[in-house]
Amino acid sequence: MSMEDYDYLFKIVLIGNAGVGKTCLVRRFTQGLFPPGQGATIGVDFMIKTVEIKGEKVKLQIWDTAGQERFRSITQSYYRSANALILTYDITCEDSFRCLPEWLREIEQYANNQVVTILVGNKIDLAEKREVLRQRAEDFAEAQSMLYLETSAKESDNVEKLFLDLACELIREAKQNKLDNNDTAPMPGEGKTISYLSCCSLN
Amino acid sequence: MAAEDLPSEFDVVILGTGLTESVAAAAFSRVGQRVLHVDRRSYYAGNWASFTFSGLLTWIQQHHEEPLPEEAQDWSSLLEEGEELIHLSHSDCASIRNLQVFCFTSEEDEEEEAPNTTEEETGGAAEDSECADSTEEETKETGEEEEEVREEEEVREEEQTTPSAALRQSEPTKKKISYAQLLKEGRRFNIDLVSKLMYSRGSLVDLLIKSNVSRYAEFKNVTRILTYRDRQVEQVPCSRADVFASRQLSVVEKRKLMRFLTSCVEETEEQRAYNGRPYLEFLRDRQLGDNLQHFLLHSIAMVTEDTPTEEGLASTRHFLRCLGRYGNTPFLFPVYGLGEIPQCFCRMCAVFGGIYCLRHSVDGVVVDRDSNRCKAVIDSRGQRITCSHFVVEEGYVAADRKRVATPTRFLSRAVLITDGSILPSDSDQQVSMVTVPPIAAGCPAVKMVELCSSTMTCMPGTYLVHLTCQSVGSAYEDLSPVVTRMFRTPESHDQETCPSVLWCLYFNMTDGSGLEAEGHNLPSNVYVCSGPDGDLGHELAIRQAESIFQKILPEEDFCPPAPNPEDIIYDGDNTSSSAGGEEEKEENDGVAEEEKQEEEKEMLEEEKEMLEEEKEMLEEEKEMLEEEKEVLEEQNLQTEE
Repeated sequence: MSMEDYDYLFKIVLIGNAGVGKTCLVRRFTQGLFPPGQGATIGVDFMIKTVEIKGEKVKLQIWDTAGQERFRSITQSYYRSANALILTYDITCEDSFRCLPEWLREIEQYANNQVVTILVGNKIDLAEKREVLRQRAEDFAEAQSMLYLETSAKESDNVEKLFLDLACELIREAKQNKLDNNDTAPMPGEGKTISYLSCCSLN
Repeated sequence: MAAEDLPSEFDVVILGTGLTESVAAAAFSRVGQRVLHVDRRSYYAGNWASFTFSGLLTWIQQHHEEPLPEEAQDWSSLLEEGEELIHLSHSDCASIRNLQVFCFTSEEDEEEEAPNTTEEETGGAAEDSECADSTEEETKETGEEEEEVREEEEVREEEQTTPSAALRQSEPTKKKISYAQLLKEGRRFNIDLVSKLMYSRGSLVDLLIKSNVSRYAEFKNVTRILTYRDRQVEQVPCSRADVFASRQLSVVEKRKLMRFLTSCVEETEEQRAYNGRPYLEFLRDRQLGDNLQHFLLHSIAMVTEDTPTEEGLASTRHFLRCLGRYGNTPFLFPVYGLGEIPQCFCRMCAVFGGIYCLRHSVDGVVVDRDSNRCKAVIDSRGQRITCSHFVVEEGYVAADRKRVATPTRFLSRAVLITDGSILPSDSDQQVSMVTVPPIAAGCPAVKMVELCSSTMTCMPGTYLVHLTCQSVGSAYEDLSPVVTRMFRTPESHDQETCPSVLWCLYFNMTDGSGLEAEGHNLPSNVYVCSGPDGDLGHELAIRQAESIFQKILPEEDFCPPAPNPEDIIYDGDNTSSSAGGEEEKEENDGVAEEEKQEEEKEMLEEEKEMLEEEKEMLEEEKEMLEEEKEVLEEQNLQTEE
């Protein structure tokens, strides 16, 4: 493993109905690509992008559902040790919005208490087909104390902002709970602790 | 979510998400097979699952309910000429029986009611009766569900709940965690149905590393090995450091133990002479003394008094090989519980394109009469899905189709939530493996695992204790005598210093090792996976998954390493990286080459490590000899004086 050069490492997990554009958001952010090529993302576990925020290097490990959301069969272990969750729906699809409470129940069950959750309404490039009003989503997000953002993976609207905002929020929280929750270490293989790691390389 | 239709053609359809099925799923998907993986249940891992507290209560409830009468649907319209249908079972309730639940803590939080003194008395009394009621109710339910439970037993159980109320009334001020608190903090529990540990050089850990599935989970060391002897819990020194630091052992014992352990590593003529004779005899003849003999037999080899020597030595060697890889004991435990492991393999399967569908079952297997091969399956929604192979958990297969050992073997299990560790120490975050030799003749040897809250399996302030043994009677009959001796329950006496049991569950589960490998009355391309077995490790499940894989794809590698995302994806402007589709396959080949080299490197390193360990051992022995010399010299001096 090469020498790691980052100040923070965060695990960000995407959830939401199939077809709302989760993979597109990740691909747009990590690779600048749209559409992200045909078919699913075979063999790719997570994507990585390192960004710099106020002089600090932040490595973002972004995990996608691997298609398990299609039949509502996401493994609980997918949520474990996530620092942030991006709960995505499609603004042109009422159904994807109506499923949000179900997703929130899963989050409550399996995710860490301190997880930062952001609600994302994707596909704002299809404004003429909008089914979920912005105000409704904002109210919902506020009631659940989530951040809210509308994006277009296609036009690259707010995508960068989404991940950078999250990174800022995570850094802020990390500085607050520094030295918290740092004792669990993955063992077999050379896995790395995905929690608030401060400074220096691991190995 | 809208009920999307499944694709209608797969290479392998897998029913059940237990460890064996999940490992097989990952293996097939990883080498490019199209996999459909379904489970009738709403959760992953079947009898290998872990539950939150409320999840476990739901599970208990489900197993109390009468299974709905199975109505075989008529799918004959989906069959073609020359085909017939083998129906699969809808419920697996048969694998779990004798469920009994006891709550030994107060229903409500006592503290909350403390300020109001006038209401306290009545409130307190109500609580007590409430709690006793709930226990009785649960007991009654058990009786209904399990007809074999005789009436006298039921009466006995009801009696047991009475002292519980009496005991609590006698000391109502003690701040015990209430049942309400357990419910409130319920999601902090991850209660395993199976209790196993991972040998650090066992096949599961090797597979997790080889396949890179280990990246989906985190692990904790089991920090100590304990044993129960002469009504006391003792720590077993097992690593060289432990032996060296042990205060229980005399210098002579230390030396004897180190000698013995060193001599075990290689098979000798002397050992062979004992083949077929009990290991206990072999140990006795080494004149190790009672202490060491107990440790070696029960805690290190973890065998019984009549286990043959060759088996005892093999277990001892396995234990020794596993020492020191990650910590001072041979074992690891996955954070969030064992139920994570099958899910990790499922994730790997999904990452490589496997399709997942919980709450979805297979109703029947379509068999071609001429070839006696499975051509397709009919799912619970009546969709015909073509497949080349069908892998199924044994619980779904009707009893007359599978070959199992008779009489059916069961495991006895108990799960306790306690308020303290069985052997308090400086740290309250110990993970302990406890061996409990048979407490009386004819009683089973019990394996016990005590988990602390940092394993993320129980709420802070509590411990989760798992007991497992081969069943002789019901789980309650087999295990409650041990629980009563080692913990404080309403039935126990003079156990003031022991941790109290707040809540406990007893049940029996079919022992997966009873399933025969061959000879089932099924088409040749249908493969049956057994449920969990009673061994401490995971060898059976991994071996089974690998053997199924090799039967179907003898040429392919079993779970080759998944590429590391950091190697495929590049940061920043360099967007030429590829993932998915053809390009990746090529890349994988390259990766495979590299990995081979890496593997070799790893092997060499391991060898180096072993040599170093040996060196270390020799040095330690030298040190010990020197110590002994000093002691002897001192004695000499004293005698001279």
